[in-house]
Amino acid sequence: MSKPKVAFYWCASCGGCEEAVVDLAEDILKVVEAVEFVFWPVAMDFKVKDVEALRDGDIAVSFINGAIRTGEQEHMAKLLRKKSGLVVAFGACAHLGGTPGLANFIDRKTIFDWVYLNAPSVSNPDGILPQQKTMVEEGELTLPEFYDTVCTLDQAIDVDYYLPGCAPPPDLIMKAVEAILSGNLPEKGTVLAPDRALCDSCKRRDTKPEKAVIKEIKRVHEVLLDPVKCFLDQGVICLGPATRDGCGERCINANMPCRGCFGPTSRVVDQGAKFLSGLASIIDANDEQGIKKVIDSIADPAGIFYYYALPASMLRRKR
Amino acid sequence: MKSKVGVYICSCGTNISDNLDFDELVSFTSSLEDVAYAKVHSLFCSEDGKNFLADDIIKESPDRVVIAACSPKEHEKTFRDVLQKAGVNPYLFQMVNIREQVAWVTDDKAAATEKAKAYMRAAVRRVSLNEPLEKKEIACNTDAVVIGAGPAGMESALLLAKAGRKVYLVEKNSFIGGRPARYEDVFPKMECASCMLEPGMDEVLHNEHIELFTCSEVRDITGFLGNFSVKIKKKATYVDKEKCIGCGACYDACPVKVKNEFDYNLSERKAIYVPYTGALPNVPVIDEKNCLRMKGEDVICKEAFDLGLITQEEYEKHKTRECSLCKQACMFDAINYDDKEEIVLKDAGGIIVATGFELFDPAVLFQFGYGKIPEVYTSLEFERVLSQTGPTAGKLLMKDSREPESVAIVHCVGSRDKNHHEYCSGVCCLYALKFARLIKKHLPSISIYHIYADWCVPGKDNQAFLDSVKAEGNIRFIHTSLPMRADIMQEDANINILCTDVSGKKQEIFADMVILCPAMIPSKDTPALSNLLGITKSTDGFFAEGHTKLAPVSSNIEGIYIAGCAQGPKDIQGSVAQGAAAAGQVLSTLVPGRKLELEAASAEIDENSCSGCMTCIGLCPYKAITFDKEKKVSVINAALCKGCGTCVAACPSGSIKGKHFTDQQIFAEIEEVLK
Amino acid sequence: MGFLCNWCSYGGADAAGSQRKNYAPNVRVVRVMCTGRVEPEFVLKAFQSGADGVLILGCHPGDCHYKEGNYKALRRYYLLKKVLSQFGIEEERLRLDWVSATEADKFVDTINDMVATIKALGPLALSNPALAKGVSADFQEDTLV
Repeated sequence: MSKPKVAFYWCASCGGCEEAVVDLAEDILKVVEAVEFVFWPVAMDFKVKDVEALRDGDIAVSFINGAIRTGEQEHMAKLLRKKSGLVVAFGACAHLGGTPGLANFIDRKTIFDWVYLNAPSVSNPDGILPQQKTMVEEGELTLPEFYDTVCTLDQAIDVDYYLPGCAPPPDLIMKAVEAILSGNLPEKGTVLAPDRALCDSCKRRDTKPEKAVIKEIKRVHEVLLDPVKCFLDQGVICLGPATRDGCGERCINANMPCRGCFGPTSRVVDQGAKFLSGLASIIDANDEQGIKKVIDSIADPAGIFYYYALPASMLRRKR
Repeated sequence: MKSKVGVYICSCGTNISDNLDFDELVSFTSSLEDVAYAKVHSLFCSEDGKNFLADDIIKESPDRVVIAACSPKEHEKTFRDVLQKAGVNPYLFQMVNIREQVAWVTDDKAAATEKAKAYMRAAVRRVSLNEPLEKKEIACNTDAVVIGAGPAGMESALLLAKAGRKVYLVEKNSFIGGRPARYEDVFPKMECASCMLEPGMDEVLHNEHIELFTCSEVRDITGFLGNFSVKIKKKATYVDKEKCIGCGACYDACPVKVKNEFDYNLSERKAIYVPYTGALPNVPVIDEKNCLRMKGEDVICKEAFDLGLITQEEYEKHKTRECSLCKQACMFDAINYDDKEEIVLKDAGGIIVATGFELFDPAVLFQFGYGKIPEVYTSLEFERVLSQTGPTAGKLLMKDSREPESVAIVHCVGSRDKNHHEYCSGVCCLYALKFARLIKKHLPSISIYHIYADWCVPGKDNQAFLDSVKAEGNIRFIHTSLPMRADIMQEDANINILCTDVSGKKQEIFADMVILCPAMIPSKDTPALSNLLGITKSTDGFFAEGHTKLAPVSSNIEGIYIAGCAQGPKDIQGSVAQGAAAAGQVLSTLVPGRKLELEAASAEIDENSCSGCMTCIGLCPYKAITFDKEKKVSVINAALCKGCGTCVAACPSGSIKGKHFTDQQIFAEIEEVLK
Repeated sequence: MGFLCNWCSYGGADAAGSQRKNYAPNVRVVRVMCTGRVEPEFVLKAFQSGADGVLILGCHPGDCHYKEGNYKALRRYYLLKKVLSQFGIEEERLRLDWVSATEADKFVDTINDMVATIKALGPLALSNPALAKGVSADFQEDTLV
């Protein structure tokens, strides 16, 4: 019997998810042993036509990382969907939009104007912007469309499972691979991580007072962070209470608060709004002036609350 | 699973059907997914309507019901009862308010119809997501702990005892009666205070349903309405209450003399003492701080020896002998030097907090001269000067035993003043008038000055009281403005008082005695008790009532009530009324044989989902959420939850379910009304 | 879209009805027990579902049936407004106010005023950035440019 075919693809993301595969260390040998890679542009020499040549559903599972930002990414996602039995959104960008998704607070025009015209390091006297089609002597050159809005993978295609994280930690990757190989899979649509919030495994929880209140919010560079105390109790925003557990508290252990890369629990639609609600509820004031004073100390609240999950949020983008 | 929704649409006579396209609404409703049928009636809330509804539900057996009629605030309960009888869980039901919020507020018939359709669509979708809920019941303890044995606490205790309830009455002092135990007469009818109080006090001591804990305080409390457990600390008093007959032989024998706090240090008492003649219970206590034996007599002898007051021989003789004069004097063997502090645990269903007040310390405002000028008194000190059981045995005398020729009474000291206490204590004017009346009774030719800002004499007898005191003559009224300012200085034998009246004119008065009327403030145990019981204080420091008008004796915690001056300044009548009201709350909330019904639409934490972030804990106004330290999750006590949903909205991981108002139910409603 | 607390503002809306006071018909009410239950997610859901403006009406400060739910609502409200403005949604599209069960006139005025404010702002018209989801039958494998 032939080994199950696996594809790995990279859309709008930093490449860290590809690194995460390497982070499997010796375990990667088990994976290579068990599967046949049919498409993995960053590691092996396959072409798109190789994928096109496969029968529909021939690939057992495609792991797609990155958000959908361009026409090419959308096309490749759809192509892999068509050829695959299962599609796993791999990592925070595919799952939630990720940090590239923060671009939804602006639009294509603003980005192009800055990158190609107005940034101080740019020299573009003719004001030429990227074109989808350009005629040169050798013929027509094409570029994929750059969308106005960053989308999550499941806004472009049907997704079977989600491996959360920036990047997904090796233990969750291995668990997912083992589950897929053994066919012992949970309900479609499941995020393959624990369904409690990060505080559950956070060692700092015990330092948090039962009735914590927020008097002022400080940014991480404005305060010498205590290495054992709950960040929220230090007045620093930590998305841990609104973020799924399972990351291995990598940021927390490095004395940095959670930014929410694992996304919300299954019971929450909009991670940012839910965190906002919890945080605002414990503001230590009951009058407009007192409340606003605390709120004024939060720099860029939408940017922090939706650090990883703006495209997956209810509003998805700036109006 | 597809649900079978039965819809009933009421035309409310023609109240609804006149103002929108009723037929269109009915046919629209029938066409909705999940709707099995839509039936109409002209008045579902009538007996005929309710019977039709019940019969039809039994006949059609829908698994969910929507009724479009008036406001749910009008008839949701009515229809829930009908559903219950007809065998449908009352929570598998939605009401659509097409009268108050559609038909009656929209002239445009088409717009009204559209609005009604939107609400109907939402209700049908939402009802499919509703879950059956059951009202749980728990047993309750109907006994009560009353903290404070002043007028309010005693009234509560007596009424509860009268109804056969067990009452644990906890008083921190050795005597009961509270502040009025210090008063001679009370306004406005100049009744004798002790004659008024004593029958009640006597009843408190002897009622078989009342267990009195004097020299005691509440140290801890756990539980909730109907199920409190209260830890009471009884201090050691060294006198056996059962054996003591109150003859007084022990305090006659005691060699120690110290200031008597009961008389605000205006008199002296012994180290074994009752605070005043006639104190109840009439059982002395040993003041361990001043008792020679407890201090260790040899220390005294050593000092005396060191100072050369006694010889070496005398010192050797006395140093090891512990004083036991009181014990020797007692004919009933009631003195027990080995008495120990005791912790008692009592279960109770309700708690009444009646911890009274104290006075603002006027020494803070040095202009009034209090604490520096001997003849400047606070009102409570002056009550003792007037009292038959006080330092002067009821004679109006100055500290040098002379009779005063003039007395000035200064109102509003530290009250009605933003820098100190903004409120008016509401009783000072009246007791100041009482003082004037009593002073005149003692010394008819005396001159009296009232330095006041306004007269606050509400109530049915009090204006007449003011008028009659005013009519007596020899009283000068100096009307000043707020905040009260009077510069009081000792000048030779006289006290000189300088103030400015409302017309701006400087006034200078000479008096032998000055009585200050300071603001009534919360008793000093209030903050600690607030922490212990979890009941909140208002900005002025008194315990906060549930609602200013409608719940004056409720606290923020169900089952804990507040009464008397612990809630705010008031007179004896007001305190007794609140004591009675608090007892009424206990009697009507906790009824023997009746169970407490719990809110069905409460919040619930899924312990498999909760991360233990504790965001919710401080948010609950009912202290219903606690942290389970073993499981590391927050837990909601269903007996305390009222279902407001604040914690549900705040839970960052969506682990709290607001029953009957779940996210899914409300999302569905939002989507449908906006379609 | 209006989120009304059961005890005060829903009562105020009923009072407006009992007194036959007409007001703009284009408001849709969802009843909650307390404004403390109103989640920022509900507000976003309303905007997402097509509301041009959202009203949260509750008991006056100090009068909350559940003692202090309205204060929690107030805290969330100011933070949510700040976040909404970062989403390019005018602050006036979300409003929290206090209406007691007897304030029929205040209820009517609040609704009418809100409707007028929203009319002046125009429709919210959120951009709908969703891609055509799924792989349709006419998906051309080789159309990648």
